[in-house]
Amino acid sequence: MLEIRDLNVSYGMMEVLHGISLKVEDKELVSVIGPNGAGKSTLIKTIMGIVKPKSGTVTYDGQDLTKMSSFQRAQLGIGYVPEGRRVFGRLSVEDNLKMGAYAVKDKERLKKNISRVYEIFPRLGERSRQLAGTMSGGEQQMLAIGRALMLDPKLLLIDEVSMGLMPIMVNTCFQVIKELNDEGITILVVEQNANKALKVADRGYVLETGNIVLTDTAENLRSNEMVRSAYLG
Amino acid sequence: MFLQQLINALTIGSLYALTAMGATLIYGILGILDIANAGAYLVGAYVGWYIFHATGSIVLAFIGSMALVGLGGVVLQRTVYSPILAKPRTLSIIPLVAAVGLFTMSSDAVRLICGAGTKAYNLKFPVMVYKFTVFGKKLTIQPAWIMIFVLTAVLLFILWFILNRTKLGLAWRATAEDAEIAGVCGVNTSYAMALSYILGYGFAAAAGIMTGILYNSITPALGEVPSYKMLAIIVLGGLGNPLGTVIAGLLIGIAEVFLSVYFNLPIPKDAIAFVVLIIMLLIKPSGLLGRKNKV
Repeated sequence: MLEIRDLNVSYGMMEVLHGISLKVEDKELVSVIGPNGAGKSTLIKTIMGIVKPKSGTVTYDGQDLTKMSSFQRAQLGIGYVPEGRRVFGRLSVEDNLKMGAYAVKDKERLKKNISRVYEIFPRLGERSRQLAGTMSGGEQQMLAIGRALMLDPKLLLIDEVSMGLMPIMVNTCFQVIKELNDEGITILVVEQNANKALKVADRGYVLETGNIVLTDTAENLRSNEMVRSAYLG
Repeated sequence: MFLQQLINALTIGSLYALTAMGATLIYGILGILDIANAGAYLVGAYVGWYIFHATGSIVLAFIGSMALVGLGGVVLQRTVYSPILAKPRTLSIIPLVAAVGLFTMSSDAVRLICGAGTKAYNLKFPVMVYKFTVFGKKLTIQPAWIMIFVLTAVLLFILWFILNRTKLGLAWRATAEDAEIAGVCGVNTSYAMALSYILGYGFAAAAGIMTGILYNSITPALGEVPSYKMLAIIVLGGLGNPLGTVIAGLLIGIAEVFLSVYFNLPIPKDAIAFVVLIIMLLIKPSGLLGRKNKV
């Protein structure tokens, strides 16, 4: 479903990703783990078209995305939950969700998706008219996930969902991610919290200073000595 | 007397709000101070004058001038501003200098093409002055003022409606807050930019025509005062905030009229906007309805 080949990304003079290749198969849940500054967010942003690569290709569903803008990638059904949530703080919860469905033309589908998000996160339904900026971090994270789901994504990219959240919220988020994957959404998660990320994933990649140093099934990674000592502590 | 001055003040204030609105819409999306809005105001007044004198229809003059100047704005956005902003690490002074250049060019182009002299709109209203007696006080109202009020109100209502009641407006507000994420949601953010320029330059053109009708004269220097007063108004309103701009425009109109009528000020009238701005910046640097720095 998603294939990345020899991806090089630089910010100015500094190269952040050095020829990365990875694959996400249809209906898979794949986690990319690694320390802060390894290039995890850059990887996801490049897939989403926010950051342009210096070389290499991103292929999705057989189509080359490399030259497409973010909005075109969204129209193809790629959902994105950004690092730090980045909800539209000055818009209401419901308007945030409508923005998530911007590429959805069908009004019935829009309504259905909104009620589905409220079903998954009843909390958002209770606060549909509240300005997103006035909500707690956990609620904003729910909204960021909900916003990405409004698109009926075929592929969902999730960046550091656990950052700055209470442990109980982290568990809720990963549980939702697992359920969404069970429903058939292909998911790529990048995450510092390797423990949680590998528990829900089918496969994993370890990213260190811009290189993939290890890849295996999530189960094997969890029992791998190097991963245990460096990330699972 | 008070009521009369208030009417004067609100007329001038609504023109200010309309003139500055373009700069606000553009700042909201692109984060640049587009002084060339004052050029749109000037060019709009001239295009309107030519259409009016060719067709005799002031309605056509408004519609034609707003449409042409609005489209011209999109052309400038596509050919000048967006390419500048697309360069990595553009200093914010660079688009500002480009805007000053465009504004100077527009003034000189008008001077060369249309001549340096004064042109009069000579728009005839059925009645040139209405006289009333309210609470025993005499009150005069010119039909031009009514036109300015009504047209400004209609245009601002259209703006409010687009921004708050349409999908495109929702996309505009989202793009103003976080363009990257709006793009990721599926918004072609260049449409939101184009919307800012069409509405912004169109509004400035309408304000230019109304000023021309109100004072019955236009000259190539018409844009000079708005080019800097506009800045005071949009900063006072809280950069990038449309409602704040309306309030700030009216406030400056009121301040100018009342301070120059009731006090013998040692400064020129056009400096008052900046005195108000300085006071505002000392009290609340983010402006009337401004928010703290966005992330």
